[in-house]
Amino acid sequence: MFEHVRAFHQPRTISEAIRLLNHRDGVACLVAGGTDLALRAGRTVTDLVDVTHLGLAYIKRDGRAIRIGATTTMSAIEQSSFIQHMANGILAHAAASCGSAQTRNLATLGGNLANASPAADTATPLLVLDADVVLQGLRAKRRLPLTEFFTGPHKTAANASLLVELVIPGPEPRTAWSFQKFGRTEVDISIVNVAAGIKLDRANRVTFARIALGAVAPRPIRAHGAEFLLEGRVLDQHLLDAVSEEAAQEIDPIDDVRASAAYRRELTQVLVRRALLECAARLERAL
Amino acid sequence: MKRSGRNSTPSMQLSLRVNGEAREWTIAPGDLLLDVLRREGYYGVKRGCETGECGACTILLDGKPVNSCMIFAAQAEDREITTVEGVAHGDQLHPVQQSLVDHGGVQCGFCTPGIVLSSKAYLEEHPNASEDEIRTALSGHLCRCTGYSKPVEAVLAAEHAATRKPSHAAHSHDIVGHNEPKVDAVKFVTGRPAFTDDIHIPGMLYGKILPSPHAHARIRSIDVSKARALPGVHAVLTYKDVPRVPHTTAGQAWPEPSPYDTYLLDSKVRFVGDRVAAVAAESREIAEEALRRIQVEYEVLPPVLDMEHASDPGVPVIHDEKDSTGIHDARHNVASVIHKQIGDVEQGFRDSDLIFENEYRTPRQHHCSLEPHITITWLDEDKRLVIRTSTQIPFHVRRQVGMILQIPVQRIHVIKPRIGGGFGGKQEMLLEDICGALTLATNRPVKMEYTRHEEFFMARSRHAQVLRVKMGFRKDGTILANHMSVLASTGAYGSHSSTVQGNTGSKVLPLYRAPHLKFDCDIVYTNTPVSGAFRGYGCPQGFFAQESLIDEVAEKLRLDPIELRLKNLIRQGDTDELSAQLGEGRKGLPRLIRSCGMDECLARGAAAIGWKQKRSARRDKKSPFQHGIGVACSMQGSSIAGIDWGSATVTLNEDGSYRVHTGCADVGAGADTVLSQIAAETLGVTLDKITLLSGDTDYTPFDVGAYASSTTIISGGAVKKAAEKARASFLEVAAPLMKVPVEKLTCRNNLVIDLDDERHTMPIAEVARHATYKAKVQIIESASHFITDSPPPFCATFAEVEVDTETGKVRVLHLVNAVDCGVALNPNLAEGQVEGAAAQGIGYALHENMQLDENGRMLNANFLDYKILSSKDMPKLTTILVPTEEPLGPYGAKSIGEIAINNPGPAIANAIYHAIGIRFRQLPIRSEDVLRAIHERESAAQPNFAEVSKSL
Ligand SMILES: Cc1cc2nc3c(=O)[nH]c(=O)nc-3n(C[C@H](O)[C@H](O)[C@H](O)COP(=O)(O)OP(=O)(O)OC[C@H]3O[C@@H](n4cnc5c(N)ncnc54)[C@H](O)[C@@H]3O)c2cc1C
Ligand code: FES
Ligand code: FES
Repeated sequence: MFEHVRAFHQPRTISEAIRLLNHRDGVACLVAGGTDLALRAGRTVTDLVDVTHLGLAYIKRDGRAIRIGATTTMSAIEQSSFIQHMANGILAHAAASCGSAQTRNLATLGGNLANASPAADTATPLLVLDADVVLQGLRAKRRLPLTEFFTGPHKTAANASLLVELVIPGPEPRTAWSFQKFGRTEVDISIVNVAAGIKLDRANRVTFARIALGAVAPRPIRAHGAEFLLEGRVLDQHLLDAVSEEAAQEIDPIDDVRASAAYRRELTQVLVRRALLECAARLERAL
Repeated sequence: MKRSGRNSTPSMQLSLRVNGEAREWTIAPGDLLLDVLRREGYYGVKRGCETGECGACTILLDGKPVNSCMIFAAQAEDREITTVEGVAHGDQLHPVQQSLVDHGGVQCGFCTPGIVLSSKAYLEEHPNASEDEIRTALSGHLCRCTGYSKPVEAVLAAEHAATRKPSHAAHSHDIVGHNEPKVDAVKFVTGRPAFTDDIHIPGMLYGKILPSPHAHARIRSIDVSKARALPGVHAVLTYKDVPRVPHTTAGQAWPEPSPYDTYLLDSKVRFVGDRVAAVAAESREIAEEALRRIQVEYEVLPPVLDMEHASDPGVPVIHDEKDSTGIHDARHNVASVIHKQIGDVEQGFRDSDLIFENEYRTPRQHHCSLEPHITITWLDEDKRLVIRTSTQIPFHVRRQVGMILQIPVQRIHVIKPRIGGGFGGKQEMLLEDICGALTLATNRPVKMEYTRHEEFFMARSRHAQVLRVKMGFRKDGTILANHMSVLASTGAYGSHSSTVQGNTGSKVLPLYRAPHLKFDCDIVYTNTPVSGAFRGYGCPQGFFAQESLIDEVAEKLRLDPIELRLKNLIRQGDTDELSAQLGEGRKGLPRLIRSCGMDECLARGAAAIGWKQKRSARRDKKSPFQHGIGVACSMQGSSIAGIDWGSATVTLNEDGSYRVHTGCADVGAGADTVLSQIAAETLGVTLDKITLLSGDTDYTPFDVGAYASSTTIISGGAVKKAAEKARASFLEVAAPLMKVPVEKLTCRNNLVIDLDDERHTMPIAEVARHATYKAKVQIIESASHFITDSPPPFCATFAEVEVDTETGKVRVLHLVNAVDCGVALNPNLAEGQVEGAAAQGIGYALHENMQLDENGRMLNANFLDYKILSSKDMPKLTTILVPTEEPLGPYGAKSIGEIAINNPGPAIANAIYHAIGIRFRQLPIRSEDVLRAIHERESAAQPNFAEVSKSL
């Protein structure tokens, strides 16, 4: 499958990795866990550049922000007690839902994002947490919001740069969060996934809202319209209906072997509703 | 960069530690770890899918389980790898391994190495793991055999160092009826090389088939010169190079009832995946490159994809060749038709007070054996063709390959090693002929295997059917007439076409007594993947229809569904006359029901699920989660009456142990164990004194193979007979030594015992030595066995489901199977059969379906999108073995291998109806379909019943 690969590089520094990636002669490709890459028939790739020896497997606090290195594995994220407690553990929950234990022991956060599948499970929690990606190119280092990182199915703004880390600003305090994933079976990629976060004042008025949707558009997206509907309103059944309907209008799902577009639309509505209900429950508010 | 052959491939050094030892290997930079490990002889690392889904290739990387198919070998530099071979300390098994052996956690053993490694790693970090946690930890290991209950139970027990479960019944026998561990389990848990692919033969080539990209086309021209010119390519075969012999790939006794409509290679292709050409080359990469260089010009023909229009006027003819035989009506794409009747259903309907009729649809289901089809062929030192192959039918393969390649049967030697699951998919001669042809063309050993992707559409599958059932009732619920009409697609070739469908009638309709039964069936060709034998063999389709309709009728008649069934079920002493009409493609034999535990199955199953309380439980109408329970009944057969037969030879060794030779083919379900138990019981020795050799056409006597639930009753019957004869001959030698008349002697527990004075004994070993060196006689006896009936096992299944009415998702919470399989010769193995079938049946009910696009291409030919259930998806399983005594079976046994697959479909559909009041008459019942139906009901009153009702 990778019969044209002539070298497997294991650089020890970021700059060397980037140099190898940008080498003119041949087609170079970064490999982290390999769980997406190794399954593809890479018949054009000539050079594989392993990024797992660059010291990028870490979960660090930086003031109120959290930095997660690109090669941190899903298992490490799922098992990190810090991540388990951050934002009701939505990122840990999403990481724990990525494939089987054998997959998660290899799969990296950076790989999940750089692969840019519309169904990537860690994308929606990171979107609602307003995460940024840090990219190191041949010349410059860039930091950009995750919303700008995804440009299409399996397309990102990374170009020939290395995804170094994710930066999550300290999650909004007193906010409740939820991650909802719908698969056909227990171990499945998402047919739809939803992450949400809300904050309510004493009168149950929404003072902060984030909703992100996965597997329902060419890339993981924020549901800005639905968020807008929420802000400043009192969260009640009526608003839940309106918001989940709005979210279902913001998507652009496809028909495929896993589900029809129409079904994805319905699921979006249900999962958004359930996510918000779970948030409310976590805030111990009855609707 | 240009490449030619392996030599010019760039290479690199890899150093790592494997199972505690330093290793230094030369690899290619693009090699995957799985390929390197197997190349280096770590055969315990299995290839099941190569897409990260199945877990068969699991290793521990620095102590953590990972799939070796999705990591580059170079990434293992300086790391510590543990394969299953490194888990035991010498002969001392790891507690997880021992527990899997003891608790029946192993069936075919193909998934086992991965399960051992993941469990070991998990328990080391989580010593007090709960069942739920273990199920999560193992959810990346697909197992198609066990239904996960026993492996999970075993891992839980390993954690608590629990001892083996005792046999649950009191026994008059020493060995049969007991939970003996599988005789081959230790080699599976330790990953010893036991499967077809676990050998390396020097000079072995890699063979590969060029699959047709078109569903229906004629090959106008085919140019293989560029492929032949590629260095490393040793043969390229097209239809021009091989004999043209019409045959069927169905592994059935000669003369096969399936049409002879298949050719080794042909100038016409009839489905996407059909053989266009075959190559043999030095490596898989070169073989694949060679395929890309074959230039084919096709005349693309319109495909026939929809079975309901396959016989329409003007539809293209799929089998327009002149030389095929046994096709019913090739011009209308009809492979076979069946019209059989007992009594007169029309009269029955006239006599009925109520008539109900509905239509049901069932999908193409794939076997998904964890080991895909694989064959290795070579010429031995006498230039005989040796075929080492993953098959259920070694003797049929020998005959078929002999016929196709035109070599005498005598010149062929078929070896069946351990098989990684069959389920009927390997009751088919599939790669053996083409692989043999490549060996003959190259004079070299050749290996051919399907990738998981190819396996899905190039192997076989369960026939899709459209079934119409019409039943006439008296007011009190007595069935007077039952008429089933079936349309089935056999795909591009007619393998098993008439017989699978014949079974849909003969095994399903007679479950209920009715004076008037009729079965009509058309089996049509379509340009789709070929159907074939699959556990249940036509019954899951038929029972889905019949058991759904019965449930619908019960509601109309305001009867409890169990009561309605009890009123009509076949009983001991009844004769099933329909089976006489519907034999194996010809006239069959009537079935006399000599044992039937169905009433008890229903009673105990109902108690286990809590039928009474749950049927009448009040529900919270507001909750999005609705619960329901449903029931279904079925029966099967035990062998094909008057056709299946087997034989065995029993030979005494000088140390008092016995060799048993049988042609029977253990496909992982435990035949070798059960046959060893029968031999040991009959010969009066302990199980360790039996060495069983099976499924080798040079060394074992004839057996039709492992199918039609025939192994225990037929092969077991043969072993019992041969063992009885051997025991008699043995006692002839023992009698003068012990100075006791033969009729006063018995053998038990490795001793010859004087029945008049039980303290007067002599070790069997002593008599054996005497026989060998003093008396100079070889105790050796053979026997053949067949029966002219096919005693049915019976099964009642209860399902409890929860339906999420907002997403449509159906969760099965509990599945109870109460099965009458006669005397269970090994209850643990019998339960394993039921649980494994249950998992396949739940998958059939809710997920499994080979989806084809409008060009006949399969869309979900991988484990990501063809979903089989994982340990996390399985409900609680309760398995109840209801003992009866079958006079025709060895030690009272009937079959158990197939029956439990029949009921989950209807039981779940009936439970869903109970939960939400919506009837699903098509499988699989996907969450999307459920939600759509819920919405349709909301928007309109559901047109529920196509009922032709007379006045009550
Ligand atoms: C059986 C199975 C089940 C799966 N289930 C899920 C699931 O449920 N949910 C889900 O979201 N995913 C799932 N996946 C997909 C996959 O495991 C994840 O996307 C994973 O996180 C990818 O990470 P990796 O390190 O293995 O990436 P790799 O395969 O190594 O790389 C993926 C891509 O990202 C690029 N890349 C990797 N690292 C970097 C970097 N630092 N900078 C720039 N580019 C980079 C690579 O060049 C490549 O194109 C599954 C995969 C398998 C095999
Ligand atoms: S072969 Fe690796 S997961 Fe199936
Ligand atoms: S025992 Fe698990 S796949 Fe056969």
